[in-house]
This record gives sequence, structure tokens and C-alpha cells, in this order.
Amino acid sequence: MPAIRRLILRLHARHVWHAYLFVAPIIILFGAFRVAPSVQTLLYSVYRVELLRGRFTFIGLENFRELLVDRAFQQAAWNTLVYVLVIVPVSAALGLLLAVLFDTRFPLRELFKALYFAPMVTSTVAAAVVWWWLYNPQFGLFNVLLRLVGLPIQPWLMSSRTALLSILLFSVWKGIGYNMVVYLAGLQAIPESFVEAARIDGAGGFQRFWRITLPLLAPTTAFLLIYNSIQAFQVFDQVFVLTSGGPAGSTNVIVLDLYRQAFERYNFGYAAAEAMFLFLLTLGVTVLQYVYSKRFEVSY
Amino acid sequence: MQRRTVLKLALTAPLLASRRAWSQSKAITLWYPAGDITAGAAHFSDKSFFAPYEAKTGVKVEAVGLDYDTMQQKIFAAAAAKNVGDILFVDGSWVPGFLKEDMLDAVPDARSKAWLDAVSPEIRTLSDYGKGRMWGYPQYGIDIYGLTWNKDHFKEAGLDPEKPPRTWDEFRDYAKKLTKRDAQGNITRVGYAIRHVGHPHGIVHKHFWALYGAGASLVDDPLALRGGKANFNNDGGRAAVKLVLDMLDVDKSTSLNFPDPRAALLKGLASMQISETVSIHERAPKEAPELKWGLSATPVRKAGDKPITLLGSWMYAVPKMAKNREAAWQLLEWINTPEQDFEMCKKYAATPRYKVNWERDPFKSNAYDQALKQIYPYGKPLPVNLGLNGVMDAVGGAIQKTWHHEAKLEEALAEAERAANKAIADAAK
Amino acid sequence: MWASPLRALGTVAILVVVAGGAVLMILPFYWMLVTALSPATDVMAFPPKWIPSRVTLEHLWYALQKAPWHLYYWNSLVVAVVSVGFSLLFGLFAGYAFAVYRFPLQNVLFLLILSTLMVPVQVTSVALYIQLSRIGWVDTYAGILAPNFASAFGVFLLRQAIRQIPQELIEAARIDGAGETRIVLTLIAPLVRTMLATVAMILFLGSWNDFLWPVIVINSANLRTLPVGMALFKDPYGNINYGPLMAAAVISTGPMLIAYAVSQKFMIRGIATTGLKG
Repeated sequence: MPAIRRLILRLHARHVWHAYLFVAPIIILFGAFRVAPSVQTLLYSVYRVELLRGRFTFIGLENFRELLVDRAFQQAAWNTLVYVLVIVPVSAALGLLLAVLFDTRFPLRELFKALYFAPMVTSTVAAAVVWWWLYNPQFGLFNVLLRLVGLPIQPWLMSSRTALLSILLFSVWKGIGYNMVVYLAGLQAIPESFVEAARIDGAGGFQRFWRITLPLLAPTTAFLLIYNSIQAFQVFDQVFVLTSGGPAGSTNVIVLDLYRQAFERYNFGYAAAEAMFLFLLTLGVTVLQYVYSKRFEVSY
Repeated sequence: MQRRTVLKLALTAPLLASRRAWSQSKAITLWYPAGDITAGAAHFSDKSFFAPYEAKTGVKVEAVGLDYDTMQQKIFAAAAAKNVGDILFVDGSWVPGFLKEDMLDAVPDARSKAWLDAVSPEIRTLSDYGKGRMWGYPQYGIDIYGLTWNKDHFKEAGLDPEKPPRTWDEFRDYAKKLTKRDAQGNITRVGYAIRHVGHPHGIVHKHFWALYGAGASLVDDPLALRGGKANFNNDGGRAAVKLVLDMLDVDKSTSLNFPDPRAALLKGLASMQISETVSIHERAPKEAPELKWGLSATPVRKAGDKPITLLGSWMYAVPKMAKNREAAWQLLEWINTPEQDFEMCKKYAATPRYKVNWERDPFKSNAYDQALKQIYPYGKPLPVNLGLNGVMDAVGGAIQKTWHHEAKLEEALAEAERAANKAIADAAK
Repeated sequence: MWASPLRALGTVAILVVVAGGAVLMILPFYWMLVTALSPATDVMAFPPKWIPSRVTLEHLWYALQKAPWHLYYWNSLVVAVVSVGFSLLFGLFAGYAFAVYRFPLQNVLFLLILSTLMVPVQVTSVALYIQLSRIGWVDTYAGILAPNFASAFGVFLLRQAIRQIPQELIEAARIDGAGETRIVLTLIAPLVRTMLATVAMILFLGSWNDFLWPVIVINSANLRTLPVGMALFKDPYGNINYGPLMAAAVISTGPMLIAYAVSQKFMIRGIATTGLKG
């Protein structure tokens, strides 16, 4: 026995050693280049940071207190919240609608699917540049089309009334293919038998959808809502390219504001506090959605 | 396991080698904004620009074009990491921010005295940060903000193309006459194009003439690095912002639907605009060769007032943590000798800085240069306060909010005053 | 094919809606192409010229001259290939470890890796930039790659995939005397090759389109990646002409769109089944 026991122990020990070895590269790399800077930034949030002079003064929650009364940040937080609240359900709903349509059979279906998905593969920056041109009030295609049909032209990115909406429109366009494709996969994973059973029982199309399909899609919906929320909270590229947060701060979002605070005002402590705020906000919303979604899980 | 480690090391090693040449002592870097941000940077991409210097001293000069949007951030992060360009060609309004972080090397006293004595008054104003202190050299062909207008539009509207509006009342009147609409009533051409989107600093730059012209100012003491109070939440400030607000709402002679004023003028979408004159001077021949444009000082609030306009400049500065400071200052000396000033201004059609060069041709007989010379005396630079960034953000934001009808004029200015005073106080610590 | 005329009408209706939507989706790309290829006067025309009056390559030439696009492509390619390569390698091994072994701190480490997803790069960029600058990695390939040598998603997905593999197979290989490394590379990798390919595709796409970190860490024009080069082409004040700007957009997005056209089935399926945006 002792020989086998020693063998087992040795095998076991070797695997643990292997385990650490195999995860070491990732842990080291993440540790050095992702976690360490994050922790540093976190620390910055309770200091007044004067990077060039190397002066760090501990100020406790002062940065956070300033955050709460800062008009610009309040606006950024509000805009970000509005952005998330609009884009997440709209993208999901449109994605679902399209997925339902694509779940039927019609000619050239694969081609159309590819067309809806195409915006996803381009870089946000390049696509935003194209939309910037489309939004030009004098010569951009959108206003040209409006003029063609006799509707009043819009200022789009030039007015604080319409700028955020313009960015939302871009983001919806960019992400709808993705939502559609994920929902489609979810739809196709539902066994035919369930829907058939409902039809045999006399349930109409809409009832079938509402009572059977939609609940069975709950995991997909949950996933999309959570993932879309995280992405939406971190929106940056398109705002940076299209409006830089203007006009009049109407498209200022948290990540853009913290980028500005860090790199134009050199207020690293303050920017770090904003980052902390964002992180907690994202975490909170994600946890809420996750917990809430568990209630709707239907296993089959 | 060992094989794998070796493999990994072999793959990573080449990556660790830097892509840039490591020879530091024989090369200096100059950072400037790439693209059409400022005409004063146009020559850095010219390979032959530094050739004479390189030949004379054997020191290579590498001009690195940075993206303007992220330039401040790059400079700062690089300085923090002690790996920044040796010479920085930066927007003059960034200098107080850099001074606040103690980032710049001052020009040696002997040199600054010689410089200040030899250059024309407007250059002296731009260079002197108080008591003869210089933190860098202004570019040649400095920016002055003047009124530019489309002469053909004036003729079309029945106005004398050689006579620009002199007072705010005339200005509003002209703008009304010059505005054009289509059948639906949409404005197709504005009488006066305003800068209302983009960075708040740009908005302040382009409305400086009205603010100061009405008796307000950004900070009460323009030469104090620390302390001072905001000085724009008063009758003058309100009148200045209201001027355009009335043009938007009452006269309907301008609009928020138009992009950058310079582009608007060049594309024929606007009849008048106020911005850096050098932009139009440089770009019109390429972008609008048919354009006949006029240049003059900015309108005054009431007859008899003196015009005030913004004197701006990009600056050559040397950061304290540059690796090759002596070499950098040597290069700057070379760029800023009277002979170089003459040669380069002649080559790039810019106004010179030395008094002696103004006496020489082509500058003496060039109509554009002489027109600028008439406007220069009215120029005022931005205050040097360390909190300038915050002040300009506040004022620009207030103007933007008011014109976009996001806030009432009085509230916006009051709020901005609070924010500006806070920025000044914070910076003074 | 259709059971009744009503069914046929339904299908036609769906086709019309879908096609209409598809036109809207593609319109920006089409207009980008038209603007890039039309003479400057056409661009400002009203009513709009859907087909250029004549096709001109002047904007493309101008855009090609104004910036070293071939370098941008090369840089993007190098960065993408290296980061994907390492991510796959490290992800495979780490995924295997998390899936197969039981070891102390396992869950903590896994959560740590996943948590990096919630911290956007803007937050860490300053600290990271300063850190990299001290070791001389700024403005180098290494610098661009630093946060991208490994992927949390990769680890997550590969762990899922490897979990499906029956333990007996692994045991059998061990009894045959294979070392763990050999098991991963010769047994596990082929078994999860679809997932590897999918992860590779998603990561490649993400790296190719990455903007913010490259724009922060790159200074030299010669090191710029494609999105950085594209963003630099445009300045926020309307001082660039639309023809060349759209030509630049065509240059930026063209190859990826072509690659997509060729492999879209695979791309779509991969992203759908993993539920990831890349």
C-alpha cells in the first residue's frame, strides 16, 4: 500500500504543480498589466495625486464628495444612465424582432443575415467617422434624404437636443446584428416539440410566442441585457469620435469625463474616483440583473 | 516543461526590443500636432526644415506628429514617465496647465532679455509671462483673431465690400442682410458663423473679442500666476454672450446647424466669421481659390471703443524632464535667430517676430502682413493664471449652454463664475 | 413550398421588412463608397447622386498618399497575430488547468481573471502607461500588446469547452505516459479546435478594431495601427474634405469587410454560439 499511496500523492502533487504552472502566464500577465494598474488607480481615488511632482496627499472621500456636486459629472452620469436605459432594451427588442423574422424561411435569408451583421465587424472608429459624415447638417445624407421628402432638417450632432439621440442611433445600428444573431441561436435551441405542443393545444401565434418562446429565451435575454449593459456603461469610442462629449456636455459620458479629467486637467485622483463610481455602478447593475434573471429561468 | 519555457522566452525576446533607435545623445525629438490643427506646424513635416541645423551640429532632429485630440494627454503621461519629447510645440493656452504641474524649463534670463528687446510689441506680449519671464518662444506667424468676410456676399447684399461692420449694431445689421434662406425657410447661409461645438476652449477663443470688447475678462489680473478672481459675470460678460444669443433667436442671422466657422466661410456657407486670420490666409488658395475675402479688426460695442481681439500663439517649450535639454535649447536658439526668423517666415508666408525683419521685404510690402500689423496692437493674450484650463472650461461651457438653450444666460454665467473661481483657487494651492 | 396563399403573403411581407431594414443597415457603407469614388462636386449635390456621375480615384490616391496605410495594416496584423497567438496558447493551458485540476485558490484566481472584464482600459491606462514607460515599452509593439497577451474570454470559453471532454480520455493518455503539456497540445487542442478557431476569430476582430489603448501608447506614425490612423485622418472641426475622409474609411474597413464576406457564416456562427462581441 505505501508504495501506491506515495504514487498517488506524487501524482496529485504533480498536478497541483502543473495547475499553477499552466495558469501562471495568464496570472502574471494580467497581474502586471491589468490588475496592478487597476489597483493603483483605485488607490489614487482617495488621494490628491500630483503625478509629476510625485506628491500624493491622502484626502479620504473628498474626491467622491466633489463628484457628487460636480455639475459636469452629474451630467455625464445622467447621460450614461439614459444611454444605457435606452440602448439595452431597444437593441434587445429589435434583435428579438429580427430573430423571430429570421427564424422563418424566406429567399436569400443567409445573405440578409450577413448584411445585418456587417456593421459588427468594422471598427467603431471607422464606422463613427462614416456616420459623422452622414450627420453633416448641410451635406450629410440624412438631411439630404429629409429634404428630399420635404421633412425639416435636423441638426443631429450640432445641437444639444439631438446629439445624444444621434449617438444612440449609431450604436443601435452597430449592435443590432449581434443581438439578432444571439437571439436566433437561442430560438433555434428551443426544441420544436414545445412549440408544436402548444399549437396542437390551440394556442395562437402570439400566445405561443409570449407564453412559451419568450420564457424559454430567458437565459439569452438575461445574457444580452447584462452584457449590453456592461458595454453601454463603458461607451467611449463613438462619443470621442462623433462629438467629444458636446455640445454643451449633452453627450458627455462617464468614461469620457474621466479620460478628460485625467489627461486634460491632470486630476488623476478625481478621475480615479470617477472610475470607481463607474465600476461600482456596473457591478451593481450586473448583479441586480443576474439575480433578477434567475427568477425567470425555466429549465427544460 | 523546459522546452516550453525556452520556446516562450524565444518568442517574447524579440518583442522586448524597442522599435526606436536608442541613440539619445545624437538625436532630439520635437513633438507637434499633426494635421491641419495650426498653420504654424505645417513645416515640421518638411524633411528639409532641419537639414541646415543637422548639417551644422551633427544632431539629428526627429519631428513627431501627435494626434491633437490626445496630445495633451500624451505629453503629460510621457512627462510623468520621464520619456517625453525634448521640444514641445504646444498650444499657448496649455502652458499654464503645464506650469501648474511644474513641467517646463524657463528660458535663460540673458536670452529672454535679448529676445524681448528685439521683437515687435505683440510678440513681446505673448512671450512675457510677467517680469520678463519666458517659458518658451512663440511661433512665427502668430495667430490673431480678426474679422474675415466674403466680399462677393457683401456686394450681393448691397453692402460695400471694403467696409466691414465697425460696431456691434452694424455687425448685427450686416449679419441680418447677409443671411440667406431656402424655400422652406431653412437657413442656407448664415451672416455670421459661430463656434459652438467642440472643445470649450475653442469657443472662448472665438468669442474673446466680444467678452473683452464689452469690458469683461477671464481673470481680473492677466499676469498673476496664482490667485485672482473671475471677471466675466458682469454687465460686459452678459452683453457679449447675449449678442450672439440675440443673433440666434431674434435676428435669426446665425445658426447652430453649421460646423466650424473657418470651414463655413471657405465653403460659402457663411459671410462673416471671426477666427485666426492665418487659417483663412493659408487655406483659401487651396480650398476656395475663387473666394475674395477681407480682413479687419473686430467690431466694438459702441462707437469710439477700441477693438480688442485675441492674440494667440503656439509655443516652443522645453520640458524639465526632457532627456536632451541642452541640445533642445540649442535648437531653439537656432530656430529663433533673426536670420532663421526671416528665412522661415519668408518661406512659409508667415509674419515675422523680429522688429528688424518687419523692415525687410517681402513683409514690408505684403498687403496681408501689413493688414495684420494694423490689427496686432489690439491683440491681448490669454491670462497666464495656473487655473486657466478650468476657467476656460467654465466660460466655454457657459457660452455653449446658453447658445444651445440648455441654460439661462445669468445662471450659466453665475455657475461658470463659481467653477472658475474654484479652479483658480485649486491651482493656487 | 407554401401551404397556402396566406402563407406566401406572410413570407413576402417578412421579406419586404427584412430587405427594407437591410438597406438601411448597408446604406452607410454604400454611401461611404459612393462619396469616396465621386468627384467633389457630386458630394454636395442635391438631389443626391446615388451613382457617381463618374468614378474617380483621386480621393483614394490622395488618402493613400497622405498616410502610410501599408504600415498601418502591417502593424495591425502583427499586433493581432501575436496577441491572438499568445492568448490562445495561454488560454488553452489555463483553461485546461481550470477545467481539469482541483487546486487551492482556483475559484479566486478564476474570478480575478473574469473581473478584469469590468474595468475598462481608460481606467487603467495612465497607471499602465507610466509603468510601461519605465521599462521602455512605450511606442513599441510590446507596449501595444501588454494588456492583450491574454484574454479572459479565451480562458472562460476554453474552460467550458474542455470541460466537455471526458476525463477518461485524459486518464488514458496519462497512463500511456504522456506528460501534461503533451496532453494539452496533442490531445486537448485538436478536440477543441472549433472553439480555438472561434476564440481566435473573436480576438482577432477585437484586436484589429481596438482603438483607445493603441492611441495612447503609440507616438510614432510608423507604429500606428489601422483605427489610430483612421482617427487621425479626421479632425473634429470640419477641416478635412469628405471625399478623402471617406476614402480613408474605405481603406480602413475594406479588407475586413471582404474577409467577412468570405467567411461570414463562420464568423456569425462563432459569435452567436459563444455569445460574445469580441
